[in-house]
Amino acid sequence: MGVCWCKQKHEEHDTYVPQQHHSNNHNINATIQPVSPVAPQYYIRVAKAPDPHLVDKLVLETLGVIATLVDNEQEPPASMLLLHNIADNEEGFIQVVNSMIKVVPLSDPLGPSIITLLLDDCPLPSKESVFKVVDMLNLSKESAILGRQNPSRERNICVVLGCIAETLAGPRNLKILSDPMLDYLLTNLGPETDPNVVLFSLIALEKFAQSSQNKSTILKRLHQLDPCPINALEKWRYETHYIKRQVGFCAQWVLDNLFVMNNRKYSYLTVNMEKINAMLNTSDVSEYLKISPDGLEARCDAYSFESVRCTAQADSGVWYYEVCIITPGVMQIGWATKHSNFLNHEGYGIGDDKYSLAYDGCRKLIWYNAKSEPQDLPAWQSGDILGCFLDLNTPQIIFSINGMRLPPCTHVFTMAQSGFFAAASFMSFQQCRFNFGAEPFKYPPPENFSTFNEHGSLRAEDKVVMPRHIFLDQLRQQNIKEDSCTLCYDQKASVRLLPCKHSGFCPSCASQLLECPMCRAPFELVVEENP
Amino acid sequence: MAALPRRIIKETQRLMQEPVPGISAVPDDSNARYFHVIVTGPEDSPFEGGLFKLELFLPEDYPMSAPKVRFITKIYHPNIDRLGRICLDILKDKWSPALQIRTVLLSIQALLSAPNPDDPLANDVAELWKVNESEAIRNAKEWTRRYAMDN
Repeated sequence: MGVCWCKQKHEEHDTYVPQQHHSNNHNINATIQPVSPVAPQYYIRVAKAPDPHLVDKLVLETLGVIATLVDNEQEPPASMLLLHNIADNEEGFIQVVNSMIKVVPLSDPLGPSIITLLLDDCPLPSKESVFKVVDMLNLSKESAILGRQNPSRERNICVVLGCIAETLAGPRNLKILSDPMLDYLLTNLGPETDPNVVLFSLIALEKFAQSSQNKSTILKRLHQLDPCPINALEKWRYETHYIKRQVGFCAQWVLDNLFVMNNRKYSYLTVNMEKINAMLNTSDVSEYLKISPDGLEARCDAYSFESVRCTAQADSGVWYYEVCIITPGVMQIGWATKHSNFLNHEGYGIGDDKYSLAYDGCRKLIWYNAKSEPQDLPAWQSGDILGCFLDLNTPQIIFSINGMRLPPCTHVFTMAQSGFFAAASFMSFQQCRFNFGAEPFKYPPPENFSTFNEHGSLRAEDKVVMPRHIFLDQLRQQNIKEDSCTLCYDQKASVRLLPCKHSGFCPSCASQLLECPMCRAPFELVVEENP
Repeated sequence: MAALPRRIIKETQRLMQEPVPGISAVPDDSNARYFHVIVTGPEDSPFEGGLFKLELFLPEDYPMSAPKVRFITKIYHPNIDRLGRICLDILKDKWSPALQIRTVLLSIQALLSAPNPDDPLANDVAELWKVNESEAIRNAKEWTRRYAMDN
């Protein structure tokens, strides 16, 4: 079809950038190919005004089929491709948004993820389309109050707003976050609102706050409200109502990271870490995963497939940890060595390479090397306990749900016999809490076992889960020497390439080069430079 | 989050201290590898007067591999497709670790000044650009007005 090699099929996702990337999961990811011009076989000309019933049906069909896709090679669902084509013009885009708001049920664990997935992969909407959608929704304080009758609709609206906030350009974003819209989102944070709506209003505010001007507008409004509604939501942090608990987590996160209030202490300064000897590793995590101040709970609100490993390592013997499932959607939780890569933007996570093995209780699949084996048990629910048992003597890995054991797995041991870490990957809007043994286990296995918390040790400074803006500020103040390697700035520039004679590189960068970075000439020799 | 490579810190510091005219690139508050970019449409191009938002991400092995960049603002350009993906050699096989965020963004600005319909990513746009350039330029101006200007 074209002459440009950019269009080669395997290259298609290359220029994607993560925040907009829909890599919720590799296999879902693989189902989404840009519709046209690269997939002309699916191109169906759609009439200007699409039939609302047809679009409703296509949205529900996509929702139904996406959870059953387990194979990377599987073709994308036809319903999804059709929706993308429909959304290519203004009326179509508005109809797709309308249908999603109308038909995606509150109870479907993948609902919000599918909305973001569909919108994210639609052709870029025009400014007018987006304004029309926003006008059509006609959001205000009053609409928020009226909307309490219909939480599923309001929840979906908030998910859509989050997507719009993330997709649109800065100045336009400012216009969209109008006063009535802000009233709407802030009113939704009130105690009478369904917690599902509270949750996604909070996430929408977080996404709007990505442009700094919006952030200061929101902050100003929050300061005027007394008391700040987000402070009250933070108290839901340890609720056993799992939607409220997610709200609590997100409220705490935005107060620590985004909407910093003068009269509030950062959570990392107040949390008690005395008994914690093992936690999620803040230096071994993909960039968008949110980790709680105590290092034991994690959540993803990005569209990428975020991953993390724990701080302690299992090299021999028998080990066990538990995970409390907060959200019943797609997570891949299990064991990984350091060789397992977090390719969050490509949608690969734990269980998607040869060095990790994971269970996904939403789709009931054990994952190894990006291949899955179906398991015969009900899908996991909020509050379920996933047990992760690792026996390096046998060797075997046994997952359990609420004490009920799945068949043992051994695949991963052909590649590694030691160096295992607890690890997990999260699709968008998923959350779970780890217990490495600091608390009593709910379903301890009958065998003798060790725990990371009894064998792990952490220095005080490693137990700090610092808000990212503080961490980044500290980093950016580092001084960088002028005689540094011009490629990495880590080491001293000390070598010269021959025959082109270009210099300014360190030996370790030079060893990774195929040609001179300055003139692209092939080089034959790397020589030490005499100052 | 893994420690941030010095290279990224250095480039960020320079971008803040000596910004490129017509281009703003601001690192995300929570992700130092992600930049919010706004490029102004070059003078004497059909994109003049427009503000184009892009996102730029530095992958794990940057600078050994190229930044990932895409347009977020809709644009009528033969080398940029409906999803905002850019067909530009230095983002692909012509990447060199000596290139920087700054040089990449300058190249993208230059691509706006000089569309290349012989190496298209958006086929229908390229087609029109070749057979009826003035019509294509009219479209590009219209899209700029509709999608990239605020009033």
